[in-house]
Amino acid sequence: MRNFSNYNLLLTCTLALLLWAPVASGSTLKVCKTCVFTSVKQAVQKAGAGDTVLVNGGIYKESKIEIKKPLTLIGQNNPVIDGNFTGQLITVLADHVTIQGFTLQNVATSYTRDDAAIRVMGRNNIRIRGNTILKTYYGIYMQNSEKVEIKDNVVVGENADKTESSLGNAIHLYYTDEVNITGNNVQGHRDGIYLEVVKNSQVHRNTSHKNMRYGLHFMFSDGNTYTYNTFRNNGAGVAVMYTRNVRMEHNTFEDNWGAASYGLLLKEINNSHIYNNVFRRNTTAIHMESSSQLDIRNNDFARNGWAIKLMTTCIEDTFRLNNFTGNSFDVSTNGKSQYNHFENNYWEKYTGYDLDRDNTGDVPYRPVSLYAMLVEQVPPAVMLMRSFMVDLMDNMEKVLPSIIPEQLVDERPLMKRIDHDNDRKLVQVLR
Amino acid sequence: MKKSVEYLTGLLLLLLLLAGCKVEPKPIAYGAANCAHCSMTVADNRYGAELVNDKGKAYFFDSAECLAAYINEQPEQGQKAAFLLVTDYARPGQLVDARAAYFLQSEALPSPMGMNLTALADAATAGKMQQEHGGQVLDWDQVLLAVRNDEKLQ
Repeated sequence: MRNFSNYNLLLTCTLALLLWAPVASGSTLKVCKTCVFTSVKQAVQKAGAGDTVLVNGGIYKESKIEIKKPLTLIGQNNPVIDGNFTGQLITVLADHVTIQGFTLQNVATSYTRDDAAIRVMGRNNIRIRGNTILKTYYGIYMQNSEKVEIKDNVVVGENADKTESSLGNAIHLYYTDEVNITGNNVQGHRDGIYLEVVKNSQVHRNTSHKNMRYGLHFMFSDGNTYTYNTFRNNGAGVAVMYTRNVRMEHNTFEDNWGAASYGLLLKEINNSHIYNNVFRRNTTAIHMESSSQLDIRNNDFARNGWAIKLMTTCIEDTFRLNNFTGNSFDVSTNGKSQYNHFENNYWEKYTGYDLDRDNTGDVPYRPVSLYAMLVEQVPPAVMLMRSFMVDLMDNMEKVLPSIIPEQLVDERPLMKRIDHDNDRKLVQVLR
Repeated sequence: MKKSVEYLTGLLLLLLLLAGCKVEPKPIAYGAANCAHCSMTVADNRYGAELVNDKGKAYFFDSAECLAAYINEQPEQGQKAAFLLVTDYARPGQLVDARAAYFLQSEALPSPMGMNLTALADAATAGKMQQEHGGQVLDWDQVLLAVRNDEKLQ
């Protein structure tokens, strides 16, 4: 009896395996100079659903490769697919497709077609891993898709001349949900990573630099998270616009310099978190317009032109436990009314005292200086920075506030710089 | 003699000053200019737009819908404007009169601010592109209305 049940179990397992097997492991088609297939396109056309196409090293001069069934495309020894400026390289028109380990290059700029190295249209369960994409218009372009993984890719565009706008985005997502973008290095495009109407997605540990417009750009994309990314030397670091429920944590925004440049641009953002970020050497670290109910906490603002430009259209935003060091202006605004809350921040420019030894200053600190208000109204007045008259004016205003917003005040400024270094070290290890 | 020289120099200076404030369209500095409505950097030279007011001051926009939204918010700016310009999609970087342009609204052609508006200078191209991509062709007044009502497609 017992034997019989064992036998039964074995039979069930074998049957299950037999049923499962065709889906899990199809046949493998090899592509190389001396193989049956010498072109990727041929192999992709001949392959059946669930097959693997294994491409060996070498240069394949091909474009317009269309994947119409579930396939795994794997490159070994770094094969190069060179489009020779003849059109889009790989178009994915099936679910469950993996593209891994290729170098894809030379896609022409077209003003009427948004050609990309890899384009996915209306599909799900797509994985794009470890590819290098060079000299393309758009790099990876996803539209109307879901459940996508874009991991460890390098996308490099050419923007030697920054005024030339014949550049698409490195990673472009349009109406695509549940995307995981991790560990990519993108540069030299219009936007590094662009999300338009994207939901429930993560952007982790990417480096986005030297892009003409934004390192990362959100439009109408609710409920997303971006953490541990570095945005360096872009037109502006990150722009988050017309969106709600965004988590922004542990990112570094640095060296985003220029007349129209921001570390982080917030326009019509609601209910979002900005925690543990570093803003270093940006023209304006955060520029905020029409944004409400933001929690801005534990960030470092160091050596920026303006740390925060808080327009009067912003309401119910909270700034807590942030460090403000070495900024030319800590906070600037464009009007008298203020409905935001500042508490327990460290302000390097604070000159108050702490007689009761509770580590918070006994006199409130007003981070907006009269001169900051003046520069907001009359930008050329910036040439008077650090002059005697400006210092005199600012000090008078401190004693008798008249022009600076009355409510914009930190009632309990901290006496000591907050040590966020424990977090920082963790970041280093994780990188 | 001296008087007439002074007079002439004065006249010349005046002319120079007048020439300095000539009311005319200005080229859009792509990648450097910020949109006057949404603050975004104007980067895509297929979609840029511009308003030049009666005093010759130019405002730049990253898309036709931003120009429309700006005028909807401040109608007097639209009425006073010396030029309302949008970019001809068929000739990137070329500005044309917005009031005379054709706007193809098609989901196949996403524009920077999500209204799917593509401006074209002539009716023939607009018709051809409509056949190719679908959607509807609007004039400038219909664009203003669509932006006011936030109608992505009718």
